[in-house]
Amino acid sequence: MAPKEKYIPSETEKAFLSTVTNGKYDREIITGLKKFVDGSVPQDMQGFYSKEELDAIMELDGTDKDLQARMPVKITRHYFEQALKSKAIQTLVKASPKETYDLDGAEDPGKQMSYSPVEGLIHKYELGLIYVASTCSAHCRFCYREELIAKKEITREDGTVAAKGLAKIKDIVDYVLEHNRLVDENSGRHPETNRERLREILMSGGDPMVLGNKNIAQWLGALSEAGIESIRIGTKELAFYPERFDETFFAMLDAFHEAYPQTNLRMMVHFNHPDEFLAKDPDGNYIEHAQGGLEWIPATRASVKEFARRSWINIDNQSPIIAGINDDSDALRIMQRELKRNGVENHYFFCGRDIVGHKAFNVPIEKAWHILNESQKGLSGVEAHARLSITHYKGKTEVAAVTNTLFPGVKGGENGVVIFKLLRSAADAPDRCKVTIVGRNEEAIWFSGYDDRVIMDEAELFSMYDIQPLTAIAAE
Amino acid sequence: MTYVVTDNCIQCKYTDCVEVCPVECFYEGPNFLVIHPGECIDCDDCVDVCPANAIFNEDDLPEDKKHFLALNEELAQIWPQITDQKDPLPDAAKWDGVAGKLEHLDKSVPEG
Ligand code: SF4
Ligand code: SF4
Ligand code: SF4
Repeated sequence: MAPKEKYIPSETEKAFLSTVTNGKYDREIITGLKKFVDGSVPQDMQGFYSKEELDAIMELDGTDKDLQARMPVKITRHYFEQALKSKAIQTLVKASPKETYDLDGAEDPGKQMSYSPVEGLIHKYELGLIYVASTCSAHCRFCYREELIAKKEITREDGTVAAKGLAKIKDIVDYVLEHNRLVDENSGRHPETNRERLREILMSGGDPMVLGNKNIAQWLGALSEAGIESIRIGTKELAFYPERFDETFFAMLDAFHEAYPQTNLRMMVHFNHPDEFLAKDPDGNYIEHAQGGLEWIPATRASVKEFARRSWINIDNQSPIIAGINDDSDALRIMQRELKRNGVENHYFFCGRDIVGHKAFNVPIEKAWHILNESQKGLSGVEAHARLSITHYKGKTEVAAVTNTLFPGVKGGENGVVIFKLLRSAADAPDRCKVTIVGRNEEAIWFSGYDDRVIMDEAELFSMYDIQPLTAIAAE
Repeated sequence: MTYVVTDNCIQCKYTDCVEVCPVECFYEGPNFLVIHPGECIDCDDCVDVCPANAIFNEDDLPEDKKHFLALNEELAQIWPQITDQKDPLPDAAKWDGVAGKLEHLDKSVPEG
């Protein structure tokens, strides 16, 4: 192995890091199905998969429909206990042959690799995304990072094929410093990409919260030193193992805030369903709290409260809308209300990407919009902040409206139109807030479902693929 | 499930595994390292970096190494945690691949 160039922390960083301790966590993870098959899981876990379910899954082992190769099966004890009481959680975490019935889909649907200047970094917007861990405490079957977690080989821009690597502190810091230096020297814009300064980094994976406090602290310190103003941590650990957010973790955060008071932290949490954080009575119903609202799982609520207490930390929830898990307006209404009540913002809901095997999980775009819209009826303005987004190659796009009003002369127009609005576009955001209008297609799960019915394409979501609006075609 | 350190680490103790483990779940004795089965998050990162090929996924343990699971569990309770990479033991290369190393395992708890 070539000698690695080490990152050298500053004095402030060293002083901060010297205060950090790692907690002890026993997640009691079960990985793989072998233990379920041979019956060596703990007594109470036996029967989590029925004999028939296991037979059907194991039959696919080693074939191109191998479920464990698509996405390793993994669950914590905490999540298992919630799954026992929830059909939605079971669908989320239990492997099922329907995942590989149809292997249609793209290995890198957001074309992320074309925005990766160094290993483990995606720099697409003013926000950079780094992969710092390649696993999570448990695994969602619908995972949209499955290529990283299952360590799949993917094709890079330059044609080489390799598994996605993780970010290294030194590489990322060097990149940020160099990028921002060029931007500053060129009066605020990068000379080649026209991007602004990199001000925000999202730590992602996998789940950064599987890392120890010291490891997380090294990232927080180094990114702050490099001039990053806002750090986001994308995590589902509040659902999988809320005890991870213990005293040692919050002590680390407080020491970090003391050392770097100007850096803002945003926890991007990932709850898909209220069953992941609400307590239930023996009949499986949520429990009304005497002081209003519903009773939470104590450990989850305690962790959320600890975050909410710290004014310099924001907590936002984002979740895809997934078939069989949360394609349910009532569940989403309860989730949005309870999260907001406890200090968690409802940020985005999004449409599943067309990753390999997506068909088992994707909800059509128009249906997802309808479900979210229904769920927000009866919510107050602040509770109903979340929008439905879908990630176009050009950037994050909102499914702004689905209408029922007749729009004659267009395929699908007899049912109305769908309006997409580009929320953010890559590089220097030239097309922000532009819209595209298409005729409806109730079955569409991706933009491609609208190729033959584009009415107006100001946002150029389709024209960038040489797909013209119908009016342009008619005029030819 | 967990990952398990097996006999070929004994007397080697190259600590490349410690360097990559994201959760620092390795524990160190005088001439052997073990993984804490509850703390390991099954990321698989340590397997490829171990120069002695001593680390196995619990499910892939060969029949004759199965007892190392219990040994890892037992020793992780009593040995101190190791978080930084160290130099291998002086005779590491010589011991690499030597059969029947288990009898050389020193289970004592280091002082201090
Ligand atoms: S938490 Fe996120 S990254 Fe981890 S398995 Fe679920 S979807 Fe994938
Ligand atoms: S890298 Fe392998 S041989 Fe070295 S200490 Fe770790 S397990 Fe033992
Ligand atoms: S599998 Fe991952 S978490 Fe477990 S010991 Fe190896 S590096 Fe550490």
